[in-house]
Amino acid sequence: MSKKVIMLSVAVLFGMQAGFAMAAANPDTGPGCGLGKLAWGDYAHQKNIAPQVLMATTNGTFGSQTFGISTGTSGCTNDGKVMSEHKTTMFAQLNFENLSQEMAQGQGEHLASLATLMGVPAEHQAAFFAMTQERYTSLVKTGEASPVAMVKAINDAIATHPVLAQVSTR
Amino acid sequence: MPRIQSLPRFRLANNQHGASTSTSKPHVFLTRRLYIVLLLFTLLLAPALPVDADEPPENAYLAELINKGAQAKLASEREWHLLLHYRKDLFGGHTSEQDDQGFFMSPDGKTNPQAELDTTLKQFFSDELVGRSKQPAQCAFIARYEWLRNQLHFDETRLAPMACERFERWFADFEAQSITLIFPSAFLNNPASMFGHTLLRVDQRGQTDSTRILAYTINYAADVPPDAGMAYPIRGIFGGYRGYFSTIPYYLKVQEYRDIENRDIWEYRLNFTEDQVRRLLMHAWELGNASFDYFFFKENCSYHLLALLDYADPTLHLTDEFLFWTVPADTVRLIASKPGLVSGIAYRPSRSNVIRRKRESLPSEEREIAHRLTKDIGELKSAALSRLAPMRQTFLLDLASDYLRYRIDTTDDPPPELKKRNRDILAARSEIRLPSEEFLVEPFAKQPELGHNTSRVSVGAGWRNNSAFEEQTIRAGYHDLLDPEIGYTPNAQIEIASVTMRTYNRHNQTRLERATLANVVSLSPMDSVFHAPSWKINVGMQTIKHRGCQLCSNGVMNGGIGASVENRWLVHQVFFAFAEVEANYSHAYEERHRIGGGGTVGMLTDLTERWKMLISGTYLRYALGEKGDDFRWTVGQRVTLLQNLALRLDYNHRDYDNDVMFSVQAYF
Repeated sequence: MSKKVIMLSVAVLFGMQAGFAMAAANPDTGPGCGLGKLAWGDYAHQKNIAPQVLMATTNGTFGSQTFGISTGTSGCTNDGKVMSEHKTTMFAQLNFENLSQEMAQGQGEHLASLATLMGVPAEHQAAFFAMTQERYTSLVKTGEASPVAMVKAINDAIATHPVLAQVSTR
Repeated sequence: MPRIQSLPRFRLANNQHGASTSTSKPHVFLTRRLYIVLLLFTLLLAPALPVDADEPPENAYLAELINKGAQAKLASEREWHLLLHYRKDLFGGHTSEQDDQGFFMSPDGKTNPQAELDTTLKQFFSDELVGRSKQPAQCAFIARYEWLRNQLHFDETRLAPMACERFERWFADFEAQSITLIFPSAFLNNPASMFGHTLLRVDQRGQTDSTRILAYTINYAADVPPDAGMAYPIRGIFGGYRGYFSTIPYYLKVQEYRDIENRDIWEYRLNFTEDQVRRLLMHAWELGNASFDYFFFKENCSYHLLALLDYADPTLHLTDEFLFWTVPADTVRLIASKPGLVSGIAYRPSRSNVIRRKRESLPSEEREIAHRLTKDIGELKSAALSRLAPMRQTFLLDLASDYLRYRIDTTDDPPPELKKRNRDILAARSEIRLPSEEFLVEPFAKQPELGHNTSRVSVGAGWRNNSAFEEQTIRAGYHDLLDPEIGYTPNAQIEIASVTMRTYNRHNQTRLERATLANVVSLSPMDSVFHAPSWKINVGMQTIKHRGCQLCSNGVMNGGIGASVENRWLVHQVFFAFAEVEANYSHAYEERHRIGGGGTVGMLTDLTERWKMLISGTYLRYALGEKGDDFRWTVGQRVTLLQNLALRLDYNHRDYDNDVMFSVQAYF
């Protein structure tokens, strides 16, 4: 159940236009990517964070007339879109279970999508899959503590990979 | 940026001035008179606004535009009605389905297309922030602006276009190339998803089959507080919640439906031109300002998506087809029936169906190994596993992991050892340095557009206790256990609002024989992997013979919980058993009621592809009200003739009644 609650709370971030208009130009100017910090910081205690996120949601939705469904849990999204600098880490965070399964299996759409987000062209993704499969144990261990660190570890691995370092566009 | 604080009221002087410069030829004069009357009429409809002391020069241009718009009758154009979601109301006027005042520029906008048009034009001159999204009108309602700009050929020197950076950034981020309609199939165990759901996916340029999860969706849903509980069905049906649009990344939707709720997903790629995709997104952007009262049966997710598609391609006329309710599967059928609209269909199996199909493909000894892996990590070192070829090992390990994740995601408080076991299995899996082979999953339920329509009418004749009768039934929705199963969730029944009139020849009496408010049955076959219970609930009435009363109305409430199992010995069959409670209300009973408990056992079987049979027997003992017991049994058979036509032969025994009936059922 707690999983569903988190999913719902996350969904709240994607209100079509973050109606949370504080500044006209850029409506969602929270201090960094709030969801990320909240969820990543307490990853081991899903149950504890769920009520907090939820509370924000409920207040925002029913507390005032200037609501949007995005209470702008702050900083991750802009008019319902994930800010580009958070795209990869948010994807890694929200798909961690699917990613770890696919890393072990050496293929899969979540893994291919992560590779794409990280700038690995489709024709070289097999090498990316092999690399993450080989490092499965350490990547998942890192990821369980912090998906941000996992993304960084994968980035470092790309940088030292004989092929991927050459072809990666990011 | 020029800024107008308020719209000056047009004074007659302006028009008189116009009239005085006109030629005095009588017929031209008449036309001019007519025109003035028209204009005055228009202005009467427009909201009264305070007069500005010194008129900025834009006002003349605004007056000109309003004038041009009135002449071109833009306010009665279909495009304007689509943009504002106007529908004809009972009194010949128009009312918008939109319920958020921020969506309208005029205070009368909800019911007055002309006033809305005029005030919208006025607002385009202003950089005042409007709508929930707090942008200038040109940007908040960018599709309206685009359309009116094209229709009225805005002079940019007199009505300066504003830069809509927020929209442009939002639009660019989609990298939109095409639109896909997504249909997560029905999920009985969540009342909100009983009939399935629909959403749109905005496909990206350069997207592949494996990166389509990165695309954004456009989703419309009611905003229901998490603790809604029993209020949900009532408020959901009567518009007590507000519905909003959102742009949730598809990967979250896939997780929700495929991984957590275990629902199959069907994806219909739509043949939209780039221009139509842009129109759709521009209007979607406007709907970000909007909220609709959410009505579970009609103005639901599917209905509002159809409105978006209608705007993308106004020739489609999709929303016009739904008057009373909008069942997601019906909207899929409608879209699939439009020639050339769907360019491709993709199937994304639920995790539970992946597990089922993978298991089916295995010889029994390998199935055993996979099963043991999920129970005991020691199996990883077993000879039985290591003896297998590496590709076989990967298959079994992957299946075991799928199953453990299924357990973790569907259990309320998953024991931590499940997670640990999954990690161990995956660690072992990663040691075999081979990519898993793609496994093609054949769907258990075919795609929804191949299924029967959801409303049903049937005509039948038969005997009750040697008295002949004819009867007619009409059912609003949706599917019962004996209806042709193609396109529907297997072993699930939802009957809503069904009424049967029967004429007994001997009594020469026509009466309401049966009525069903809701009759829902969910059979979830159990096995070593899947443990979900089966359940049923029925609220309605039927006609019984009891004591001295020959044809007596009998109100029924029945609910049960149980289990079912499935096998495919010779033909496919599902056996089920329920423990249940029932309450009856009828004049025929002492104290007019009886309440009791009992059980049902039965079997549902596919004798051939078109021939299905349902046998069930129920014993109930009534302990409250009129005491007594009741034994009933039924045998129903169905033969499918066409997608929307079937024959039935039913036998029903209860208490003192024996009914045999033959009927023809048509779906519409």
